[in-house]
Amino acid sequence: MKTFEEKWTAWLDGQLSGRELSEFEASLPDKAAAQAEKGDVRKLGALLKRELGVSALTNEEFFSHQLRERIRESSVPSAKGEGRGSAWWTVPRLLWVGAASLAVFLVFTIFVMRDKNPAEESQYLTQILNARVDPVVSPNATVSMFEVKQDRVTVLWTEGLQSLPADYAAK
Amino acid sequence: MGRSPAFLIPFVSLVAVVASGLQGAETVWSGLVIAENVAQPQPIPPELTRIEGPLKKFFGYNQFQVIGQSQKSLKTGQEDWLATSKFFGLHVDAQGESAVGYVLNLKLYKEKELLLETDAKLSKRSPLVIKGPQVGSGQLLLVLVIQ
Repeated sequence: MKTFEEKWTAWLDGQLSGRELSEFEASLPDKAAAQAEKGDVRKLGALLKRELGVSALTNEEFFSHQLRERIRESSVPSAKGEGRGSAWWTVPRLLWVGAASLAVFLVFTIFVMRDKNPAEESQYLTQILNARVDPVVSPNATVSMFEVKQDRVTVLWTEGLQSLPADYAAK
Repeated sequence: MGRSPAFLIPFVSLVAVVASGLQGAETVWSGLVIAENVAQPQPIPPELTRIEGPLKKFFGYNQFQVIGQSQKSLKTGQEDWLATSKFFGLHVDAQGESAVGYVLNLKLYKEKELLLETDAKLSKRSPLVIKGPQVGSGQLLLVLVIQ
């Protein structure tokens, strides 16, 4: 059951016909005033179309228009992001980054290997293979050797060598 | 053209690092040192700074003075050299290089008289100290350090 307003709108749009039209027009209290208002509404519509150039959207057009708007809104940010990313990761930049990474890797690898070797070598102290004292010059001399791992110093210790006067300390 | 420097980076780095690892010749410092106890000791010579603690601890002296020295840069590991003072001479004969240092033959002379001879493998990280004869109130020490 249509309300009066719905019937009024349909009548203004010229969408009533037959019995429904005659019943509605009969129900109008002042048909002449209603006709005048209908004429004004049509004039106003024509004026708006002509002056503003705005065509009223049909339901289909409005729906497709909304869809296009939403697609555009949702695709614009990602397109921007992709554009920014692809613009930064250019081929030359990728090459530079790759080369720099490889260089850093090589430097660290070699320095780590070099640091490892000294640590292993540090276990090796100077070794005294043999020692001899002239028995004619120093018949009572003895030699001994010891390694001080804490200080990493090796000492050849002699006892009984012939003592010498202070003059021998001259440069 | 713009890409070639990028390719050069790792190779230049590698060459630089390898070159730094192959520093080549090492220097052996050999010195004749007189250790003494004195009232006002002189500062220790810079060549002995790294072993100042062990020297004082082992030998019990408070002053160490260099009376003769030699710095030899070894390239083949077969070099020989002499560190001399007025009366002493230390002849060092390098007889080869190993991964950890050099094989050395050492001879201590008093003028032309051989007092002491020894063979040692001198490590790059471990100095060698030889206690020589008593000289006056002090002690002659022979020190070898790879610098």
